[in-house]
Amino acid sequence: MASVSASDVKQIVVACEAGMGSSVMVARQLAKQLKSQEITVVHSPVNQLAETPHQIVLVHRGLSARAKQAVPDSVVIIFDMFLGDLNIAKLVGALQNGDTISDG
Amino acid sequence: MSDFIPSGSGGQSGWRAGMQKLGGNLAGMVIPNIGAFIAWGLLTALFIPTGWLPNENFSSMVGPMILNLLPILIGYTGGRIVHGQRGAVIGSVATVGVIVGTDIPMFLGAMIIGPLMAWILKYIDKVLDPITPPGFEMLIGNFSLGIAGMLGAMLGYLGIGPIVAGITNVLGNGVSWLVDNSLLPLASVLIEPAKILFMNNAINHGVLGPLGVVEAEETGKSILFMLETNPGPGLGILVAFWLAGPKLLRGSAPGAIIIHFLGGIHEIYFPYVLLKPQVVLGAIVGGAVGVATFMVTGVGLVATPSPGSIFAYLAVTPPGNHLGVLLGIVLSAAASFVVSWFILRLSKVDSTEEEFEAAQQRSKEMKAGK
Repeated sequence: MASVSASDVKQIVVACEAGMGSSVMVARQLAKQLKSQEITVVHSPVNQLAETPHQIVLVHRGLSARAKQAVPDSVVIIFDMFLGDLNIAKLVGALQNGDTISDG
Repeated sequence: MSDFIPSGSGGQSGWRAGMQKLGGNLAGMVIPNIGAFIAWGLLTALFIPTGWLPNENFSSMVGPMILNLLPILIGYTGGRIVHGQRGAVIGSVATVGVIVGTDIPMFLGAMIIGPLMAWILKYIDKVLDPITPPGFEMLIGNFSLGIAGMLGAMLGYLGIGPIVAGITNVLGNGVSWLVDNSLLPLASVLIEPAKILFMNNAINHGVLGPLGVVEAEETGKSILFMLETNPGPGLGILVAFWLAGPKLLRGSAPGAIIIHFLGGIHEIYFPYVLLKPQVVLGAIVGGAVGVATFMVTGVGLVATPSPGSIFAYLAVTPPGNHLGVLLGIVLSAAASFVVSWFILRLSKVDSTEEEFEAAQQRSKEMKAGK
């Protein structure tokens, strides 16, 4: 199981099917919440995750198997809701507290 | 919830991940080019003889764009996904062979030959690269692509074009048979559940869109663009969740309604359905009602509305079709709302909020345990 320390996180990538719709929306929201952390949030199609530099992958549960296939060694955080998701809130909290972050 | 989405919480890759991947690749060739589709769709809606501002000069761009530009862009993008810029170039070259070999818009053919030729070139490069003498890289690189591209275009002209034209004909005839026998609403039984499983782009851009443009090229509009993209069913579901859903979900529903209906990001309502899978019935009924309305009123769109927002819908609705299009959206939203509302009300008895929270806890534990 992959994990990463919050201080090493420089770039988070949000993945969706096309990398142009829902992932952009989630990435923009997350970037706002992480403004003070100097973490960039980008978006990508799930098929091109391997070519996108990142420390953490954020993906909806429905696409998580493909994300794991694409980048088996990355920390993959799975969310269920596009608005107000608990796992995303937890991730933001962990990043702000400097915790270690692992798959979930 | 984890039970309903088998490929999610575990690491396994079931048939769904495979289907998604195939569909994702098809959609991945189309979606980056949607801007060009919109340019073409607007030109069509405005300037063709039955458009808002008929203009012979401007409408002369409509044919070349749909027949040449859009398939070449798809072949280009398909090649680029497989083998970068060289793949994109050979994909474009080969696509021309497919286009000229037939007289219908060759989206499906471009989706096949673009990646195929890029894949072949990738292997050619793999063989030639190690044995290329220093200083000959450019010569060999250019001619290997050029020769392979020529052969690919010939292959497209002779083989893939006619085959795909045949397949498109069969599928198109199947669709007209469904329309003639008033069976097209049944398509919602397949489309709506597949959407929820994140196959929305694959269905729309991979299958329905390519068939739709063939019809739109002949008749000026197609109902096929509306089967997957109708924002009505999702709207009905979200309103039902807002008024009758689990308390935890109600708060986010209004925001989701705006993003879904106005912004056109349909993905936003899928998680709500995944949490209450029975609600998919509302989506199916709503979708079928919408398709039936579109069919009875005889409306269609000139291009794929992408994203599936009400604004995109109105932009690609040809003159005289607005009433039927809006009626279909409203009726489908109403139907899906009523069905979803009843399902949510009835299921409340056996699924309280505590149970929902317990379910979330369970899925968290499962994740932690893996």
